[in-house]
Amino acid sequence: MLEQKILNIKIEALKAIKEARTTEQLSDLRVKYLGRKSELNEVLKGLKDMTPEEKKKVGPMANMVKQEIESGFQEAERLFRSKSFNFEAESIDITIPGKEIKQGHLHILSQIQNEIEDIFTSMGFEIADGPEVETEFYNFDALNIPKDHPARDLWDTFWIKSEGKERIALRPHTSPVQVRYMEKHRPPFRIIAPGKCFRNEATDATHEHSFYQFEALVVGEDINVGHFKFIGEQFFSKFFNRDIKIRLRPSFFPFVEPGFEFDISCTVCDGKGCKSCKGGGWLEIGGAGMVNQNVFAAAGYPKNKYQGFAWGFGLERLAMMKYKIDDIRLFHSGDLRFIKQF
Amino acid sequence: MKYSYNWLKELSGTKKTPEQLVELLTMKAFEVEGIGKVGEGLEGVVVGKILDIQKHPNADKLQLTKVDIDGKKLDIVCGAHNIKVGDKVPVATVGTKLPNGLEIKPAEIRGEKSEGMLCAEDELGLGNDHGGILILDEDAKLGNEVSEELKLEDNIFEIKVLPDRAHDALSHVGMAREICALEGRTFKYDSKKLPSKKGKKLTVEIKDKNLCPRYMGAIIENITVQDSPAWAKNMLKKLGLKPINNVVDATNYVMLELGQPLHAFDASQIANRESQIEIIVRRAKDGEEIKILDGSIKKLTKDDLVIADHKKALAIAGVMGGEGSGITAETKTVIMEAANFAAASIRKTKTRLNLQTDAAYRFEKDIDPNLAELAMARVLEIIKMFGGETVELSDVYPKEVAPWKIKLDLDYINNLLGEKIEKKAVSKILESLGLRVAGYGSQITVTVPTFRIDLKTQEDLIEEIGRVYGYEKIAAVAPKADIQVAPANEKRSFERQVKNILVGNGFSEVYSYSFYSAQDAGLAQFGTIKHLELQNPMNPEQALMRVSLIPNMLKNIRENLKNFKDFRIFESGRVYWSNGSVLPRERRMIVGAVVLEKDKKAENFYAIKGYVDNILNRLGIENQYYDDFDATPVETFDSLWHAGRRGEIKIDGPAYAEASAGKHDHPIGFLGEINPIVLVDFDIHKRVAMFEFDLDALQRDVKIEKEYKAIRKFPTSTRDLSMIAAEKIKVSDIQKNIKKAGEKLILDVQLFDVFEKDGKTSFAFHIEFGADRTLESKEVDETMQKIISALESNLKLEVRKG
Repeated sequence: MLEQKILNIKIEALKAIKEARTTEQLSDLRVKYLGRKSELNEVLKGLKDMTPEEKKKVGPMANMVKQEIESGFQEAERLFRSKSFNFEAESIDITIPGKEIKQGHLHILSQIQNEIEDIFTSMGFEIADGPEVETEFYNFDALNIPKDHPARDLWDTFWIKSEGKERIALRPHTSPVQVRYMEKHRPPFRIIAPGKCFRNEATDATHEHSFYQFEALVVGEDINVGHFKFIGEQFFSKFFNRDIKIRLRPSFFPFVEPGFEFDISCTVCDGKGCKSCKGGGWLEIGGAGMVNQNVFAAAGYPKNKYQGFAWGFGLERLAMMKYKIDDIRLFHSGDLRFIKQF
Repeated sequence: MKYSYNWLKELSGTKKTPEQLVELLTMKAFEVEGIGKVGEGLEGVVVGKILDIQKHPNADKLQLTKVDIDGKKLDIVCGAHNIKVGDKVPVATVGTKLPNGLEIKPAEIRGEKSEGMLCAEDELGLGNDHGGILILDEDAKLGNEVSEELKLEDNIFEIKVLPDRAHDALSHVGMAREICALEGRTFKYDSKKLPSKKGKKLTVEIKDKNLCPRYMGAIIENITVQDSPAWAKNMLKKLGLKPINNVVDATNYVMLELGQPLHAFDASQIANRESQIEIIVRRAKDGEEIKILDGSIKKLTKDDLVIADHKKALAIAGVMGGEGSGITAETKTVIMEAANFAAASIRKTKTRLNLQTDAAYRFEKDIDPNLAELAMARVLEIIKMFGGETVELSDVYPKEVAPWKIKLDLDYINNLLGEKIEKKAVSKILESLGLRVAGYGSQITVTVPTFRIDLKTQEDLIEEIGRVYGYEKIAAVAPKADIQVAPANEKRSFERQVKNILVGNGFSEVYSYSFYSAQDAGLAQFGTIKHLELQNPMNPEQALMRVSLIPNMLKNIRENLKNFKDFRIFESGRVYWSNGSVLPRERRMIVGAVVLEKDKKAENFYAIKGYVDNILNRLGIENQYYDDFDATPVETFDSLWHAGRRGEIKIDGPAYAEASAGKHDHPIGFLGEINPIVLVDFDIHKRVAMFEFDLDALQRDVKIEKEYKAIRKFPTSTRDLSMIAAEKIKVSDIQKNIKKAGEKLILDVQLFDVFEKDGKTSFAFHIEFGADRTLESKEVDETMQKIISALESNLKLEVRKG
């Protein structure tokens, strides 16, 4: 009996909700079916006078019906709300630019340096540092470049006026860091030494007196030319995100023997020959070689106990290649029109 | 150095084309920087003989010539006047297109017909001389192509020979030997025999045997000084040398062939003693002067070496001859010098006197003393062609240099190159380079000829083996190494972290030079600071090493203001402080600048301060405070900053107590507005605020690990409080008073409004209360009362109630 009554309430209520046309009608119906004086509420109130068996039957059913009616109301109310909302009135011009967020930009050379450091660090290389103002000893003598030797002409050096006996200069390469590091560490080791260098050269689109060099040094008892080729290929393949081959040509740097110029396969055509590599298939990158035993001796190592390779290249050149930058002077220009492109 | 392909081909017997040779040399020996063709495109330029010359009837400067080109007679109008009847000259016939693009057509010049053109040197692409028509040798064959007649067609290589190979490869013979080795052949040079002519007319005395290891002198008589034959002149011109006369040209020719600089003196200009010629090789006297061939007078020191007679210096040894003793048209007897000088001494002299000569260029690189006799024999042979007769030869060579031996471990070759090269191949390579190989087993003995001064160690030999064998054959192989984490470079990681935070705050990174001018230093008020100075700056703009990043930052701002109204930039870099030790103190600094579009109430200052707080907090520093400027040390750059708008950034806390004896303020940098007067001096007409950190000082404070603080379990409550100050008062003092009066219940005091009206300043704060329990409203009210009375009595503030 009672169950049937509850069921009828439900059917009646849901029907009424469906037929309601205004929010006012809905709220009247809510009072009628769910209010304190509603039939359903009366049933729920009467539960306490029932036998446990009746309660068990009627209670859950009544509560469920109440919930069903409640969700019927919510559904209907949401329908009314959405019908009444005027989207058209609030429509805007979405082609108007968004609010400008002022962004900072890390200098492109810093980005490249980070990238290089991360690749080498992942191969177990330590990052070494040294002074930018260096003594003649570390800049030249310890690197097997004696005074009054024509090899000194390979570096146009900025010298510093000094009162002391020892001549000092702005380092023309990062190689002095090799010797400073070796004085404090014993092989085997793998290091890189990135940093600012200076050469007394007139500036133009491809020459800059202040630049960033990158130096790698690997020393052990059996390090050889093949190892250099391997590490070089690993690094450049990762950096340019393609398979890179290394080509060595004979050259001369007093701190290595044998000494090389090294080229990489063209990063545009992979060596087939294109405009970027002027048809040759190779790009000149930097200098390298097997560490001269005289350099080991200057660092205090016994001669002919260790072998190692050293190589260096300019960050600017890599950046110019990677981003097709045509004027090296832009890097030190401080011009935000340049910096903000990266 | 420039090399002639024809000459190299003749000496080496190579069958390679110029392009193949370039490839071979580049990959295995030397970088070829350029290749230029000469004598090309001269088809139609033939040898002609001038039969007649008449004045042009209608033009004063022109002449009418009749020229015979083997049977055919041409009328040609010509502007040059160095010709005479009977001369043989190059004639560009109708239809010829010259290297400079000029096409020869039949023409009428001022009413007279012209059927070709007589050519000057430059029109043939040979040298730059446009002084007159090129006069050919008398025996030139009429009608013959001029390029064939002059052996003009050639390829000129520009090859970069680095200092290690300058000893032997700055010569055609050296390069030919290299080519043979690379082609797997052995080079042979047809060396001439020295005439054996001992006598007493010439004596040579070397005073300093260290500076002059060898001196050969020859007396050549009966010489007729005149122009060199065309083949010699043309070769010199093609290789960039100016022909002078047959004697001087012969010395230069031999230098290009063998690499040995030679010098010729006019014997009549050397002071005789009882008809004996005396050559003395000695150090110059301090202050001794000599007028040299370029016409300048050089003052010498005792470090310079001269060639002298018993009265005066005749030449600066190995660098340049003296003016008075050179070869002239009147010279009849020549003293020919083939000598060897100490490289370092030549280098010092030429550097000090700034004399770049072909001789010094070779001597400063150390050449083989045994080369002198080869060169002497060759030059005497050439001069013999001009009638010169060698009557006497003197050779002072106290310490003869002999070939030396290097023991080479065959395993070491493979260990260093990472490639197994068979002994047979090793021997073949070394022998083709002119070395001798002996020995059995794993160690061989290599005898090095004296011209390969660069080969001294095993590694030197391994390089020769590697490059000739071919580096391309060496396989890339992973080195065997222990797996280990690379030790961190904490300074670099920290710098990167700070830079990333700045970028996150909207700052862009600039790079600038490490130098600035003395004027910049003055404008930045650094005039009294001792700077490191460059001894050889590019220009005065870059004469001083920076002690601060700020001056170049200001220049950057000035330039960027041309394109941007507001921006934030930073630079991270080193500054250099002279400190009495050999090397300066290099400090790693980081400077940031804010430029806003408008600045009415120190907005730039508060912006930079906000950024600094943000940066420090991101680094885990929370106990920073800003102190009035302590203008004591010079490093504070007091007058660079706005005197009323700058402060020192300090950190209060245990990190410093640990590092420096219990003091509680730890300065890490400065912030503030740049002095507006300085800004105008830098041509910046806006306000600019900056911060400057010492990265090392900053890094000392961030070693403490961040620690989690439990999130409050109990609700906090916030009250607002506004007040009016009749006099100047610091917000930090108000905050201190509020915190003190509120004791433990105050969690935070935040300023949210400040404005001035009628000469008084109004402040408004949010005060946040909280404790480890739910606070009663009454408690908070009572604390507020305490705060109000403290502010009224301590700071004489008028607190607004309700």
